[in-house]
Amino acid sequence: MPRLRLTGRTLWITALIVPPLAVMATFVAYPIGSALAYAFYDWQGLQRGEFVGLQNFYNVLFTEPFASWTQRAFMHNIIVFFSLMVIQNGTGFILAYALWRELPGAAFHRVAVFLPVVLSTVIIGFLWKLFFHPIFGPVNQIFRGVGLDFLAQPWLGQSSTALGSLIFVNAWAWIGFPTLVFLAGMQRIPTELLDAARMETDSEWVLIKKIVWPLVAPSATVVFILLFIGSFNWFELPYIMVGLDGSPFGSTDVLGLYFYRTAFGNQSAGVQDFGNGSALAVLIFLFIAVVAAFWTVRLRKREIQL
Amino acid sequence: MARLTLRNVKKRFKETEVLHGIDLEIRDREFVVFVGPSGCGKSTLLRLIAGLDPITEGSFHLNERMMNDVAPSKRGIAMVFQSYALYPHMDVYENMAFGVRLMGLPKEEIESRISEAARMLKMEELLKRKPRELSGGQRQRVAIGRALVRKPEVFLLDEPLSNLDAALRSEVRLEIAKLHREIGGTMIYVTHDQIEAMTLADKIVVMNNGRVEQVGSPRQLFEKPANSFVGTFIGSPKMTLVDVSRSGNRLGIADGGSVPLDELPDKTPHLKLGVRPDALTVKREAEDGFTASVVYTEYLGDDSYVYARLADGTLVAIRTHPNDIFEPDEAVRINLNGSPVHFFDAESGQRLEPSAVAAH
Ligand SMILES: Nc1ncnc2c1ncn2[C@@H]1O[C@H](COP(=O)(O)OP(=O)(O)O)[C@@H](O)[C@H]1O
Ligand SMILES: [Mg+2]
Repeated sequence: MPRLRLTGRTLWITALIVPPLAVMATFVAYPIGSALAYAFYDWQGLQRGEFVGLQNFYNVLFTEPFASWTQRAFMHNIIVFFSLMVIQNGTGFILAYALWRELPGAAFHRVAVFLPVVLSTVIIGFLWKLFFHPIFGPVNQIFRGVGLDFLAQPWLGQSSTALGSLIFVNAWAWIGFPTLVFLAGMQRIPTELLDAARMETDSEWVLIKKIVWPLVAPSATVVFILLFIGSFNWFELPYIMVGLDGSPFGSTDVLGLYFYRTAFGNQSAGVQDFGNGSALAVLIFLFIAVVAAFWTVRLRKREIQL
Repeated sequence: MARLTLRNVKKRFKETEVLHGIDLEIRDREFVVFVGPSGCGKSTLLRLIAGLDPITEGSFHLNERMMNDVAPSKRGIAMVFQSYALYPHMDVYENMAFGVRLMGLPKEEIESRISEAARMLKMEELLKRKPRELSGGQRQRVAIGRALVRKPEVFLLDEPLSNLDAALRSEVRLEIAKLHREIGGTMIYVTHDQIEAMTLADKIVVMNNGRVEQVGSPRQLFEKPANSFVGTFIGSPKMTLVDVSRSGNRLGIADGGSVPLDELPDKTPHLKLGVRPDALTVKREAEDGFTASVVYTEYLGDDSYVYARLADGTLVAIRTHPNDIFEPDEAVRINLNGSPVHFFDAESGQRLEPSAVAAH
């Protein structure tokens, strides 16, 4: 067996590896591990009680009223995910295509589209909360100004439009990311390849469906996965725009808000429930990790070499 | 039937004009080669014919039909690209089927066309492979096959051999010639290699700087180049141009000797003499001829080529018997051996026709 000798080289390597490992362990592995552990205990406020096994998980999944809250929040996340998939990624693709085909003003729009991405979510949330103000907000003022009074709604104040408005704001803010990734994917397609296709079809739609999309799809993998993770971790934007309760009447409640409320309490229900909260956190984490990992593997298989 | 007519075709990219008015007539079933140095506008012209880039000015007719505004896919023209441009996400069969499916042909027709093309190009066993699993030569075949199955009236090929290694190049060249005989469509073939042009073409279009310098059969171009550019571009080793002055029936270089000729262009004191390597003789001892100093001798087995520098610094190539070996720096005399030579205007480079010189 080779003996591990403490030469200068091994010392050097050890010195480089240990600090980051320690940081990761303290600030990443330990919190995740302890959250996992917390989920198996009964909690009285911040006081740890007895080991209760899977009781907390059972509570949030099957005991009322938690079960229906969990379900409702989960459903909202699913709506958010699919809507953003269509609106954010779909529009992103179309924008990328327009930029790629050098429609007029492409240079300006390339920057404009990406600008909101670098704004902080907090700023975007506040900005749009103001924009959506039912009376003074520019959104409704514009609608009234152009005679579309019926569109002057309390967008964030009624159950039927609140979640949709949040989704819209998220898409507005993040559209630049899928656009840029798709654009990069399109720019990798050789010009002659596209010319070859143009020799065979004059339909832009066939071109997109049969040539451009299949060749860009691999770069979509990362966009899809990140959107998935983002949708199920959704927190900052709803927190800023509609508050911890997912108002009005929980119509914008999502897993992130629900977890936060459960674990840390809020104004209305001042109780903290670390046990149920941790169970929720673990479930969300597992769900995202498993689906994202599975999906990444699946999508990777489609990658095409140009 | 496919007859192509280009009238005063110009192409500008933004401000830069790259084609300055091309007039060209291409007959049905002709094998036409566009040849010229890199950057002279061959690909651009081909892309205008394909419809991939719009024509800035002038017109392009296919048969009687004006094509300027017809979409590329509607022109009945297929193109083989320099990079092959196969669809990387489709296998060979799908690559060939893509276009014909869009043409709306019935399934059996598509299948029979593809299997026929696969047989002609000897690639039946490749149909299920993806482009990345093919060698350069195989990709080339697929690209040709993809054009073939569409049964176009006109085939365009842009430097189809440039990505192949030398051995494969002459093989594929022969196959393309054979293909043209078998399918009989009109073919337009772009290359910068004059040997490819000479061996393949019925008609060669020599281009330079966005202009057509001359159109003609390989023999016409070789025997009667319209100007000094075509003269030096066609033929290998190259024709040498010598700036000479006329005095009686002799053409001479200042302090560099002179040669007698029976036929000369009229009334031009200064002109360019164009001589190919096999129109010259080189001797150590001779009374007459251009004086020159040998630079090196290139031994090629069947012949040797002697490269020598004339008094005015022009490098001239002379074909000799392989046993005639000249040493560098040897002083020699160079004479015409009676084979045809060419005369070009000293300024414009245009061909000058000679006539018999009156005896003195
Ligand atoms: N899309 C383009 N934009 C601007 N200039 C171009 C474009 N395509 C070709 N050119 C110019 O046109 C000239 C002819 O190019 P090309 O037709 O590709 O030459 P060839 O095929 O004979 O080598 C070149 O000087 C090239 O730089
Ligand atoms: Mg070219």
